[in-house]
Amino acid sequence: MKKYHLVRRADSKIQRTLIYYAIGILVSLSICGILLLILGINPFQYYGKMLTIGLVGNRYGYKSIEGLLKVFVPLLITSLALSLSFKMRFWNIGGEGEFLIGAICASIVAFNSSGLPNFVTVVLMCLAAMLSSGIIGIAIAALKVRFNTNETLMTLMLNYIMLYVIRYIGDTKADWNFFLREDSERPIFGSFPESAVMKGIPLGKFTLLWSVIIAVLLTAIIFVYLKYTKQGFEVSVVGDSSATARYAGMNVGKIILRTMFISSALIGLAAALAVSSAGTISDTITNDVGWTGIIVAWLSKLSIPAVFVTSILISILQYGCQAAATQYPAIDVNFADLLQGIILFSVLVADFAANFRIVKKEEAKNV
Amino acid sequence: MEYAIELKNISKSFGPVAANKNINLSLAKGEILALLGENGSGKTTLMNMLSGIYMPDSGSIFIDGKRVQINSPEDSGKLGIGMVHQHFKLVERFTALENIRIGMRGEGRFLHGNEVRNKIENTASRFGFEIDLDKKVANMAVSEKQTLEILKVLCYGAKIIILDEPTAVLTVQEIDRLFNVLRRMKNEGHSIIIITHKLNEVMEISDRVTVLRHGDYIGTVNTKETNDKELTELMVGRKITLNIDRPVIEKTHPLLEIRDLTVKNDEGAIAVDHINFYIRGGEILGVAGIAGSGQKELCEAIAGLRKIEEGHMIHEGESIVGMSPKKILEHGISMSFIPEDRLGMGLAPSLSITDNMILKSYNDTKGIFVDRKSAREEAQKVIRKLEINTPSADTPVRRLSGGNVQKVLLGREIKSGPNVLITAYPVRGLDINSSYTIYDILNGEKKKGVGILFVGEDLDVMLSLCDKIMVICHGKLQGVVNSDHTTKEEIGLMMTGTLNIVNKEGKTDGIAKDSAFTDEEVKA
Repeated sequence: MKKYHLVRRADSKIQRTLIYYAIGILVSLSICGILLLILGINPFQYYGKMLTIGLVGNRYGYKSIEGLLKVFVPLLITSLALSLSFKMRFWNIGGEGEFLIGAICASIVAFNSSGLPNFVTVVLMCLAAMLSSGIIGIAIAALKVRFNTNETLMTLMLNYIMLYVIRYIGDTKADWNFFLREDSERPIFGSFPESAVMKGIPLGKFTLLWSVIIAVLLTAIIFVYLKYTKQGFEVSVVGDSSATARYAGMNVGKIILRTMFISSALIGLAAALAVSSAGTISDTITNDVGWTGIIVAWLSKLSIPAVFVTSILISILQYGCQAAATQYPAIDVNFADLLQGIILFSVLVADFAANFRIVKKEEAKNV
Repeated sequence: MEYAIELKNISKSFGPVAANKNINLSLAKGEILALLGENGSGKTTLMNMLSGIYMPDSGSIFIDGKRVQINSPEDSGKLGIGMVHQHFKLVERFTALENIRIGMRGEGRFLHGNEVRNKIENTASRFGFEIDLDKKVANMAVSEKQTLEILKVLCYGAKIIILDEPTAVLTVQEIDRLFNVLRRMKNEGHSIIIITHKLNEVMEISDRVTVLRHGDYIGTVNTKETNDKELTELMVGRKITLNIDRPVIEKTHPLLEIRDLTVKNDEGAIAVDHINFYIRGGEILGVAGIAGSGQKELCEAIAGLRKIEEGHMIHEGESIVGMSPKKILEHGISMSFIPEDRLGMGLAPSLSITDNMILKSYNDTKGIFVDRKSAREEAQKVIRKLEINTPSADTPVRRLSGGNVQKVLLGREIKSGPNVLITAYPVRGLDINSSYTIYDILNGEKKKGVGILFVGEDLDVMLSLCDKIMVICHGKLQGVVNSDHTTKEEIGLMMTGTLNIVNKEGKTDGIAKDSAFTDEEVKA
């Protein structure tokens, strides 16, 4: 006989949520700590290295910050873009695919840009990426509007199509393939000419890339867009009830097309900034932002300031895991992935626990 | 005396909301018990605990004198309890027989065995059901679906049958037929609980009445020893008058005229079939019909939300056919439709009252930003004027109670100062007090000279509130009657298509004498 059942909490206190998150993270760190002990590693040392992302005792500490920001920028922009479409209840899980289209088109510009000034090249890369990703986004939205296709399936399949497209490009030695290095027998992606590499503001040894500044500005813009503009208002009405939007005289189809274009174009922009910062392209260039971005958007409850904070935390987790893993021969990057997975999973459980409580069923009293 | 059901001190809460507080209820064998209460009084919650959908937080349930615990609908079925829900639980693509068969256990592996068919047919004839077992549910009328639901629980061996607002979707004649079946079931020794908030039905069918109010148990009375007035007082908690005002206003010229209007539904079938009618300023024209007779399509067509196949729509002499919804709104025609879930089509539930106020007008200001400052002022004005009970103008609409939600919707519609107000089911699911507020709002608009199209469900209300009532059946006009010169029975016959009085006795129904239509337009 069932004695327990779940009840949704009436209120959602921010303190309680934070406490549950903290408990969730502690639990996951303990689980991974046991794994580390089995491997003969002191978990406290490992976690210390992870949280300081390799800054402490490192002569090239500024490199760590630069590396962290390279993880952070694409994740932030992608999460912002996904939050925008989720707000409209358009389940765009095609972040990976949209990112790859943008990355490929930005690279086409990059590889053919020798002779152009740096600023012009990077702007062209961004435009090419935004336009290509945006058009794919519009196409999927149009199928949804016109034929009521399932956007979740369409965007999901897009991810795999684009993954295999970029693998094809990366594996095919041919005259047309300007993506690959000419001086190598094996197929290897080439490096961008200097004109296509992201520059920044030098602050001592550290360089603050323009992409970081763009990402922070975008956060502010999207926050204002969703909260104060008419278009943002339309997005929230369509997301809340598309029948209501239609009854209010809104052109629901147009709003879906427009929002999905903006969402995918932003992901394309994230890709252009990422390839330009990396100075090359690869089939792992997405760093799974299309997937992680979904988690960021949900953990933040689609609130833009929260997306910003969550993106920083997840980036530290990712980059810190990798940084720490490099110092121990017993573990590799895969362990970093495992740790990340366990932490995200327990945070999601904590989120559930913060919203629901388990109630013991009172035994019915005999009268 | 041993009761079929006895509930003792049942409590159930959802979060901080106590839906049921220490409820006691008893149902004798072979008795019809009416469970009476306003919306939100906890009737359905209580019955869902009997049918295993919810579990009580505390209290005990006795069936045939034995204490039981009901953990699932399956447990409930085994105890001989069958519930007929307000929203039918049928597989649309299956036939009646298949729908009954899928829930039967231990009857062999085959769906269409003759034994099963015989068993069902026997049960049907025993209780006087007329039903075609091979008809697909998708092709059934609402009353047929209900018959099937009742037959289904009887076939599963239910001795205790719970009906949740069974009459809400039926015509007068169908209600009579349902009550005959219920009486027959009672004579066979079945026990019945009927949930309703219609007093005349309670008086007609029940043996005893149990009244709930805001989740509290108020009391149980014998039907023979009570009357409408006492029951209302028990239900509402104070004395109220049951009369709806119908102020008489000088009627003006026809504001909205509809000729030969034909509209298709989402499936492409004809939903509105060559309908003629007109609305004058200062009158309320009721639209009566069985659910799904084309009411929704008619409203959407006038509001410009649905393409029309044929016909004319003239507003103050100007054709509105082909205009965008926004244009039509600017012309002064406002439409609000309360669907069955009550939130779906007029309001965005997660957004604030302020944001909902400007759903239709946010785009009238210049620039790219939404003007929330004046929107909030407008919202506060409407909140004051209609006495909407809310913590603030920034409260999400879904946190409001049903009556306040509908006030927000109507408040927005009349705020734009329309001269034709189309309102479908504005009191759907509201308790008596809130309903009267809505009627007052409508009458206030009528006094201002607004022409109102009132699509309704409850014939008693429509007869009191509306000046005229047009009746439709399967999208066809059955006639327009004057509320003072008709009866519920006549309207009921028209709703089922049995009676058609269009153009009888030399009248031309639905065409105004002082029409703004020119002869050329009519011919064209």
